Amino acid sequence: MVENRPWLTFFTHLVLIIGVVIVVFPVYLAFIASTHSGGDFLRGLVPLLPGPNAVENYSKMLFEGISTAGAPPLWIMLANSTLIAIIIAIGKIIISLLSAYAIVFFKFPFRLLAFWIIFITLMLPVEVRIIPTFAVVANLGLLNSYLGLTLPLIASATATFLFRQFFLTVPDELMEAARVDGAGPMKFFRDILLPLSRTNIAALFVILFIYGWVQYLWPLLVTTDSRYYTVVMGIKRLAATADAEPQWHLVMAAVVLAMLPPS
Amino acid sequence: MATINLVDLHKDYGNSHAVRGINLSVADGELIVLVGPSGCGKSTLLRMVAGLETVSSGRIEIGGRDVVKAEPAERDIAMVFQNYALYPHMTVRGNLEYGLKNRGTPRAEIDRRVNEAAEILEIGPMLDRKPRQLSGGQRQRVAMGRAIVREPAAFLFDEPLSNLDAKLRVQMRVEIRKLQRRLKTTSLYVTHDQLEAMTLADRLVVMNGGLVEQIGTPTEVYDRPATLFVASFIGSPPMNLLPVSALGNTQGLNLPAGTDMVGIRPDQMHLEPRPGATALPATAELLEPIGGESHLHLRLDSGHSVILSVPGRPSITEGTAVTVYIEPAALHPFDSKTGRRTDA
Repeated sequence: MVENRPWLTFFTHLVLIIGVVIVVFPVYLAFIASTHSGGDFLRGLVPLLPGPNAVENYSKMLFEGISTAGAPPLWIMLANSTLIAIIIAIGKIIISLLSAYAIVFFKFPFRLLAFWIIFITLMLPVEVRIIPTFAVVANLGLLNSYLGLTLPLIASATATFLFRQFFLTVPDELMEAARVDGAGPMKFFRDILLPLSRTNIAALFVILFIYGWVQYLWPLLVTTDSRYYTVVMGIKRLAATADAEPQWHLVMAAVVLAMLPPS
Repeated sequence: MATINLVDLHKDYGNSHAVRGINLSVADGELIVLVGPSGCGKSTLLRMVAGLETVSSGRIEIGGRDVVKAEPAERDIAMVFQNYALYPHMTVRGNLEYGLKNRGTPRAEIDRRVNEAAEILEIGPMLDRKPRQLSGGQRQRVAMGRAIVREPAAFLFDEPLSNLDAKLRVQMRVEIRKLQRRLKTTSLYVTHDQLEAMTLADRLVVMNGGLVEQIGTPTEVYDRPATLFVASFIGSPPMNLLPVSALGNTQGLNLPAGTDMVGIRPDQMHLEPRPGATALPATAELLEPIGGESHLHLRLDSGHSVILSVPGRPSITEGTAVTVYIEPAALHPFDSKTGRRTDA
């Protein structure tokens, strides 16, 4: 729509700017808080400009942690989160690519049933099946391990479904041409299907990385060893210190660092 | 270079029979066109030869070797698909090379063949482009190039021109014919376009309902259609089919025994008297000028509709009475119960 009504333009921009301010302000406040010393935020008058303690706060969080809150240095948790998010994203993509390939391009008995069983797991996210999943992981001795942190999150109906829909749009003639050209099933997958799925894989990786990064409940359950803490669950620990005021300036520094990779 | 032999070939999908016993011998270097309406089994037949469909029963021999159980890649064939089926993420060169690479052809040999095919098809300047940067005609050339570089025993064409516009289709048709003459590669070509079939084929195979109706050169098929189906399918406008009773007195016509239908080509019916011709009174219903000739739709006084193709633009207004003259030699006699020609 091309219209020239200055007041309308002004008004729409105003609404958008107000919206942005509402969304951004808490984030800004978190950043400001992370640059002040401990007492500043409990004084009643909240500062709105950056303070002088940024370097000190961030280096303390990154390399020392808060021992009273049982929190290891933040860099360990950041590294854990990154590793877990990457494992989950890559694992999910590999598994769903292969299962979608099987469902779309191969004829086997109960193919449709297999697809629907995978599809139905969409209704069973980790939170719903958390107790049996925990029992399985615990019995396998996978508590406090990267495998235990990632494996239950990898099987993914969403990604399988997405790739299935994409594979269905690949013309049959392309597969037939490849067969005539002497490409077997694995070669067709590697030489033709994978390159064609590149954009899908990239988009899905971003989504799944964030999915892995923001996991809270599952890491909280299966880790008791601080070496395996992830950053999102770590923040909760920082805020919940016993018998003391929460050190908001440090918590906020951790929050800002935790926000950086997904955004 | 090879012959193709199809022996009693069947294809069933559950209870439906797509191909019902086809026998066909393709000579070395011959271009055979399979033509018929949609669903007649011609594409299924081609795909069976390619190895993309399994065979329910029967034999397929390419170059004397039974290939029924062989993978498509082992049959030494190359196929050109209706939608070209170029690999979208590969360059033109990549598309041409892919099949050769999979076969482990040496690098120097691959380059030689690709350059040769690019020269034949005049696609040299496009070798480093992606298929989406090419026009329809250029993609068609690349698809052909992919077949040529393989230097196969046989080419299989599955309606390769149906996605092109009319002008380009004529042009590519001529090129396919020239190319096939030059390379002398045995070819099977599927189309539903009878003009394409007539102009390309060394021999035509007219199919209907999974069966072969007639095999012959284009002129044989046009001049002596073996069945009513072929008579009505080949030729544009189609042959007029009339019950014998519509001709009135048939005594001088020498129709073979059993004849109850006759066919007359639209250009074999005349508006001016001929010696020995049967005269039929009719009314003009519609005149369609199509350039050099006109199609005249008539209703005979016996109630049957016929189409005449007459040269030029006759000055006949709709609704006027005319007389049509048919020479006995122009009649194709058929038996409508068996559907076959009675003077065969």
